[in-house]
Amino acid sequence: MEKKRILEDGLLELYLTGELPIELMSDVEKALKEDKDLKAQFDALEADFERMGMEQAIIPPNEVKENLINSLEQTDKRKINWLPLSIAAGLALIFAFSTFLMYSRWQDAENYLNNLQSQTAELQRRVENLESDYQLTSTRLESINNVNVVPLVLYGNHKAPNAKAVAYVNHKSKVVIINPRGLPALPTNRTYQMWSDVDGEMINMGILSTDQELITLKYIENAESLNITIEPAGGNDHPTVEELVSYVTL
Amino acid sequence: METNFSDNRLIERLLSGDKNALYQLYDKYSGALYGVILRMCRDEDKAKDLLQETFIKIWKNIGAFDASKGRFYTWAYRIARNTTLNSFRSKNELIQTDDISVYDTKTVSEDAPDYTELKGSIKKLEPHHQRAITLVYYMGYTHQEAHEVMGVPLGTFKSYVRQALKQLRKTYSNELVWLWFIFELMA
Repeated sequence: MEKKRILEDGLLELYLTGELPIELMSDVEKALKEDKDLKAQFDALEADFERMGMEQAIIPPNEVKENLINSLEQTDKRKINWLPLSIAAGLALIFAFSTFLMYSRWQDAENYLNNLQSQTAELQRRVENLESDYQLTSTRLESINNVNVVPLVLYGNHKAPNAKAVAYVNHKSKVVIINPRGLPALPTNRTYQMWSDVDGEMINMGILSTDQELITLKYIENAESLNITIEPAGGNDHPTVEELVSYVTL
Repeated sequence: METNFSDNRLIERLLSGDKNALYQLYDKYSGALYGVILRMCRDEDKAKDLLQETFIKIWKNIGAFDASKGRFYTWAYRIARNTTLNSFRSKNELIQTDDISVYDTKTVSEDAPDYTELKGSIKKLEPHHQRAITLVYYMGYTHQEAHEVMGVPLGTFKSYVRQALKQLRKTYSNELVWLWFIFELMA
């Protein structure tokens, strides 16, 4: 661009204040670079402009500089971004709360489970008891309710008129079972004892305690009769014949 | 060119992130820039904010400053001027009154000090030269707008500005001569 046009159109003045249209900017800058005289004129213009600026200066209040310093120093300090931190804290809180909730529920469930387990164990025990009771009962029933079993009733004599015992004798399996519940109770130092009579000799079959329902006794071969005597507690080697309370012939 | 030399050293420090260099440039130029901003917006509170904003822009954009193309003051002046004009545009405060001033009439109270009053050598200029300089450099008008305000053709207005600046230069030179004379006398 011609120097004359730049000067006459006042383009340097426009360039100075930044008003120059962009399309002329590079032309003027190029001319300033190439033409030393033009550059000297612009330098003088700038110098005058700056001098005028200094002349028209108004001292700003100190607070502007203070604020500027504060704002620049503040941007230096790494700003703590509270948003993600607070979100994280909130999440942590929720997590802690739900963990606590889960823990207490888990504890409840654990207690409940323990209760259930002990109840189950109790039920199991009862079932086992029932089973063993049932087995015992069915075994007893089987041993009594059998075609090979001969039931014999032993009635009390004058010594024990109301006494009654039932003996079940199975000659095939050689088992004798007796129900002594019908015998009257004895003092603690006395007991009922049962004997088999074989060719006039009394052979011990065992002791009868009245608190049991069925007692299995020794089966004696070729027994002619069954006899119950009252003996000292613990039983006797030989029957006290005077104390015979009941007998039955086989 | 001592001024330019010391400015350039400050700018080099500024480029390397030295904030103290900015504060030194602030001490040197804030008055001149505040004079421009305050005369343009006529509102002290706003002018203070705009001056701060101007220096923050200088801090952030110093990389764009090219010392080979001109003085730091010229560059900083453009930033201050544009920042102030933008604040008018953004807040729709550019209301032209009868005398076509660039101010929001509401912000100017009767008691407010007249910030537009110019000082120093400008006052020695002829009134139309004074007005031309004031409109363009201290009120934020473009040459295009200012010639309409003054009611003269654009070419005439431009020559007003040129003559005014020429006149100013003469005054400054005379002042220098006088200063030289005084120094000589003192010596």
